[in-house]
Amino acid sequence: MSYYLATKKELIDWIQRLAAENQLYFPEKHGEASYRFNRVGPKSEIQFDRYIPTVVPPVKLLVPAREELLRFRTDAEGKTEVQPSLDTSFRVIAGVRSCDLKGISLMDLFFKDGVPDAYYLARRENTAIIGYSCNTPCDESAFCAAVDSLDHTEGADVYVTPVKEGDLLVEVKTSLGEKLTAGVDWKKCEDPEARRIGAVTARPEPFGRSFPAPLPDTMKIVADKYQSAVWEKHVKRCFSCGTCNLVCPTCYCFDVVDDLNLDAASGNRSRSWDGCMLPHFAEVSGGHNFRAEPAARQRHRVNRKFTYLPEKYEHGAVCVGCGRCGRQCTSHIDIFDIVTDLIQEGSR
Amino acid sequence: MMNTSTEHYHQLARDAFMPQPGRIVEIADMTAKDRYFRVELEKPLGHRPGQFVMVSVMGVGEAPISISNGPGDDNTLEMVIRRIGRLTQVIHDLKVGDTMGIRGPYGSWFDLENFYGRDVLFVAGGLGLVPLRSLIVPVLAEADRFGKITLISGCRNPAEELYCDQLNEWTEAGLEVIRLVDCTENMPWQFGVGLVTAPIPKLKLDPGKTVAALCGPPVMYKFVIAALGARDVSYNNIYVDLERRMKCGVGKCGHCQINKIYCCQDGPVFRFSDLALLPEAL
Repeated sequence: MSYYLATKKELIDWIQRLAAENQLYFPEKHGEASYRFNRVGPKSEIQFDRYIPTVVPPVKLLVPAREELLRFRTDAEGKTEVQPSLDTSFRVIAGVRSCDLKGISLMDLFFKDGVPDAYYLARRENTAIIGYSCNTPCDESAFCAAVDSLDHTEGADVYVTPVKEGDLLVEVKTSLGEKLTAGVDWKKCEDPEARRIGAVTARPEPFGRSFPAPLPDTMKIVADKYQSAVWEKHVKRCFSCGTCNLVCPTCYCFDVVDDLNLDAASGNRSRSWDGCMLPHFAEVSGGHNFRAEPAARQRHRVNRKFTYLPEKYEHGAVCVGCGRCGRQCTSHIDIFDIVTDLIQEGSR
Repeated sequence: MMNTSTEHYHQLARDAFMPQPGRIVEIADMTAKDRYFRVELEKPLGHRPGQFVMVSVMGVGEAPISISNGPGDDNTLEMVIRRIGRLTQVIHDLKVGDTMGIRGPYGSWFDLENFYGRDVLFVAGGLGLVPLRSLIVPVLAEADRFGKITLISGCRNPAEELYCDQLNEWTEAGLEVIRLVDCTENMPWQFGVGLVTAPIPKLKLDPGKTVAALCGPPVMYKFVIAALGARDVSYNNIYVDLERRMKCGVGKCGHCQINKIYCCQDGPVFRFSDLALLPEAL
């Protein structure tokens, strides 16, 4: 582990050097108010200080909207060759905030568990991550502190914290991080912990929105309120469009689809994002739908974040508090409001 | 920048998602929409009763299908597939000698240890007889290790009854088979009319000694379990084989989730008493 104090210019120059040699992604302003993780080119602007979370979280670079699982080809004798398709190209994702780092750490957990997922793990192993600490809440939608995401640094190879006097504390956390920072001539930092604590204590308190109950109590309340009028309240405005699923850093459900090439003998099988809020997600052949009601689907989604996956993986909340689902929802349905209503139901 | 050996991941991908070819050696029509397939694999499937496989036709798609034959160490896989969508339509168009892709077996199973020494009651609704057959066959093969063996098999109408010849053979072999249709729809039918729950109140059964295995359409379970409960059959001795949508079979795609568990991994076979905390199960 190495610690440096770099200036903003030094850090930006370094990112641009890495981008010249590697596939590197960084949040870029898109339109008036949104950001996207785009491939950095020579003309890209590297601006660390202020951006609200990108529309789609960076973990989706590891879980693409559509990815090929296998290719097949059937020969003249009718024998079919099947080959897995794996992406093992190296990439760097920079400017990843703590909420999104936690999303990536959780995906690591989900995809390593049980039958390991080769496609995710191959991409993940070949991905370097440069994290960036938040000193102020990004906007009024975030609630990262309420779900213990604010200081998540696990999963980053290099983690950057803005400290006083305009310096940046650069923590090199892994051997891959050492490789990325090889040859930098930044000032060594002798007192990283003191610097980090200085930055953290200068943050506003509370940091973003907070639940009216501590997190363990919040999670227990969500689990206990399986029957609640709250499940009907917000879903009245829901179009079942699945946007909340698609922008969530910890949603990874997928559909599997085959494509046949025009030769009718070769093609591929791929998986693409699916979402438990979509009406047909739990429908079986013959038409029975195990979650036909939107309220049942919303309860499922919220429980997956606060009950089901936390229990399965013995982990805290699987919602990272990035605020994307609420920010992107056409009807302004916000998981924070749903959970807050569950906590307050019956106690007012 | 990094030079990772990709062979490890290729192997993981093959283990998880690559089907093995299965050559169709026999096809038989069971009903107007249900077709029996016997498939020869390159290596033994090694399945247990109640498990399923993912069946695919390359370029069309993949779906979970119940295994219908009893466990064995040969390379045979038997299935009954209903024509109900795009993939199953293509499967119905396959001929003897054609191949389909098979991966698995997946999921939990009926453990015969829980059935030995007991009276066994099978309750099958419609296509539910297909996976239950993978348990009925090994139970009948060792019939002397069980008490009374009873099968209640119901379907919509006489034309939809599956395994008709097999039901006759099982009856001759001493299995008590109660054959029912919801409605004869004016077709010839020499057996009973009614739902699968109908015979349960009058069934000669020793509740302390009975173990039941259920498989059928989603609507069936609650009613059969209530009828068995009314006869004092313990919930610990009722096993259900559940159906869910599945896209991967390996606990990732999320479609088969029942509250906190994944049906493809923790199921499809459950002891009913283990479902108490899973309100979405039935």
